[in-house]
Amino acid sequence: MSTPARKPRKQRTFSAFGDVRKMPSEYEIVTHAQNWNTRDGRMSTFEQNPSSPINLWFLTYRENSPLQVDDWDGWHDPDKVAYRSYVNMQAEEQTKLDGLLDSYNEAGADAEFPAEQVARLGALFTPSRYLVHGFQQVQAYIGYLGHSSYITSAAGYANADLLRRVTIVGYRTRELQMAHPDSGIGTEERKRWESDAAWQPAREAVERMLVAYDFGEAFTALNLVLAPTLDDVLLRQLGQVSKAAGDELEWHLGNVLGKDAKRRDRWCGGLARFCVQQRAENEKPLHKWIDRWSPLADAAAEGLAPLLGKPAGEVVAEARAAREKLHAGIFSTADAAAAAG
Amino acid sequence: MALLKREEWQDFVRDVDWTLTYVDDEAVYPEWFSGTGKVPREAWLAWEEDYKVSYQEYVYTQKEKEASTYAVKAALSRSDTFDHLDEGWKSATKMHFGGVAQVEYTATLAELKMARFGLNGAWRNMATFGQLDELRHNALTTYFGHELVVKDPQYDWTQKTYTTNDWVPISLRTLFDGIMTTSNVVDCALQVPLAFETGFTNLQFVALSADALQSGDINFANMISSIQTDEARHSQQGVATLQILAEHDPTRAQWVIDKAFWGSARAFSALTGPAMDYYTPLEHRKQSYREFMEEWIVDQFVRTIEDYGLKKPWFWDEFMRGLDTWHHSLHMGLWFWRPTIWWRPKAGVSKDERDWLREKYPNWEQTYGDKWDVIIDNVNANNVEATLPATLPYLCSLCHLPCCNPTQSRDGSWRVRNKPLSYDGKTYHFCSNGCRQIWWKDRDNVNHETLVDRFLAGQIQPMDVGGLLNYMSMTPDVMGDDADYEAWTKDYVGRPATGLAVPAGAQA
Ligand SMILES: [Fe+2]
Ligand SMILES: [Fe+2]
Ligand SMILES: [Zn+2]
Repeated sequence: MSTPARKPRKQRTFSAFGDVRKMPSEYEIVTHAQNWNTRDGRMSTFEQNPSSPINLWFLTYRENSPLQVDDWDGWHDPDKVAYRSYVNMQAEEQTKLDGLLDSYNEAGADAEFPAEQVARLGALFTPSRYLVHGFQQVQAYIGYLGHSSYITSAAGYANADLLRRVTIVGYRTRELQMAHPDSGIGTEERKRWESDAAWQPAREAVERMLVAYDFGEAFTALNLVLAPTLDDVLLRQLGQVSKAAGDELEWHLGNVLGKDAKRRDRWCGGLARFCVQQRAENEKPLHKWIDRWSPLADAAAEGLAPLLGKPAGEVVAEARAAREKLHAGIFSTADAAAAAG
Repeated sequence: MALLKREEWQDFVRDVDWTLTYVDDEAVYPEWFSGTGKVPREAWLAWEEDYKVSYQEYVYTQKEKEASTYAVKAALSRSDTFDHLDEGWKSATKMHFGGVAQVEYTATLAELKMARFGLNGAWRNMATFGQLDELRHNALTTYFGHELVVKDPQYDWTQKTYTTNDWVPISLRTLFDGIMTTSNVVDCALQVPLAFETGFTNLQFVALSADALQSGDINFANMISSIQTDEARHSQQGVATLQILAEHDPTRAQWVIDKAFWGSARAFSALTGPAMDYYTPLEHRKQSYREFMEEWIVDQFVRTIEDYGLKKPWFWDEFMRGLDTWHHSLHMGLWFWRPTIWWRPKAGVSKDERDWLREKYPNWEQTYGDKWDVIIDNVNANNVEATLPATLPYLCSLCHLPCCNPTQSRDGSWRVRNKPLSYDGKTYHFCSNGCRQIWWKDRDNVNHETLVDRFLAGQIQPMDVGGLLNYMSMTPDVMGDDADYEAWTKDYVGRPATGLAVPAGAQA
């Protein structure tokens, strides 16, 4: 062969983006096609014996998941979260949050809570760290299995957001424990999570979700069903009830954490909608999983209602409405597109 | 400020395990992923990281780091520093961008796996920080490499390398899929945070950063040294896991670390070795690859594992001998098969450079000198053609690098030895005893086709160099060639040439 010839050509971005006129964004540059185990034309997922245990795991739960799209790289996070923007955003949020925590602490707010609110926080809010940690694990699994680096990165940041939430719950647990040493806050959480009747449906749902190994099912169970349902109970409804009971801080925290939840709704709802738009057959498994997990989510919400101090019917109806609103954005557009096409 | 100190509340964040009752513990933490093995499940309750970190500390610190790293980049992008860098050094950076960027992403997957399947809540949380860190490393490396695409299309391989079937990424995917993505979390914590991150990454990130500064590439030094500051945090998972495994199953701990050590040593001898001893301009070399290895790996890492009652790996003598040969052979291999790589390898064997090599490696001349002389004489006789490849080398079935390790015979001569193994009606080839031994023990997992196996099986068409380059997605604008033939051959112009018209492929 001859000495390689070099032909000049002005290339401004990665060839992976094709012939683009517009420069890709920083988000796209650092997120596009970064996971080699999702590359085109691979002989097996991993560069090892095609029938190694983990190759078979990925073959079963990702490559053969009922949820399939030809070009997963076609989906991008609507918020375009990349590492730099993530830490900037959450550091800024943390500054505000620290300000909140600081001023309520200065004011001695916790000591002033009515007994009923202290009891509610100890029964519902502080034990929720176990539930959220379970969510955190499932989000990590979704990232690990992701069909594209766009999905894995989004799940990675969502996984970190859940650690953020556990951190806030942990922090508040200690503050409340200091203000109310005899309340059982700070000591009774695990027992409540493991044995309070009110928590058992939620715990059952989380444990079952931890063994839902199919990528599409894990994604649906957590991000389209359980998290949107229980966030409505634990962030929005608890915030409102707390505010009415004279605890503004928990209402603020519900709003702060609600931002992460809404960001998750945007990318997860968007990803599900993308799946349906790319391939109408995806609607069937998505509905199947939604139908399978919704009763567990509703049971979990119903179980928690007494701790919230609201009629169970109301708690479930509101939580279900939050979930269904997310679903409407997924399927209605597809229906409309199908009708138009 | 009336904010609580981290120590006052962090146990609530770390303490998030519970007793599963609706499903089996083994279903949530399956052996394939969680890998508790002989360690009793309760033993993992004692898992504890040495230095703690909270989410708020994390985002505050990382925001600052990002700001300063990108500020340096922004300042330097207005300068013409890059244009004045030595071609050899640029090659070292191209190799780094292409070779490392997506390994960082694969490390994200390793961390996510530990964040899901780790056997203690504190471990899973630390892995959550770890996956963020690795997303950062991937983003920084990718973004910094991307900026250079406009200057040189070889930087396109920052993103492209691992999407291809080039032999270099096949080898590295094999290693990193093995230790990062597909290992169970216990093995993974020993192989990645411990063996790889507290050991080998120092070589690429600390030592290479020194060479970068010497070479005037402040931007690159800035990037990799900032990346390295994250390792201390998530690499703690290694020692915390080792403490428990070493107590309950030291034999496994030893084997798992040894294996990762060996695989990393092979990979770094292909990447860091040539970058340090050949591509970095002579006047900018701080230490030789061997010296860096002795300081960072042989001394420091071995001390770490000995602290936990582990021994030097079983292949120690072969590894130590390899410090004088592996990377020199691989350098020659990379240079010879240069159309298959995305950088311009610099041969780096001018008289001065050879003096340095002889000083650092007393056997270098005897082992490699005559082979380079043949190449030099052909180049000086305007016969570069004869120095280009027409065939493939044997590739090792374990490390997937060329089988090119010479050892000294009783008569004093140095010969490349292939270590074959017959198994299940097939002959496998290995570059070393270490590779052969590891393959034999892990054969159910690691047994898969090398590039040569694929070629011989007819998967690569047409069956010639053009077909191969096409299979590797190598394009003419990127294909590597020597950075500057004259630089290292001019010292020898006019001397009597003895070995003209070397048969192609003889350098293996
Ligand atoms: Fe890294
Ligand atoms: Fe790392
Ligand atoms: Zn080998």
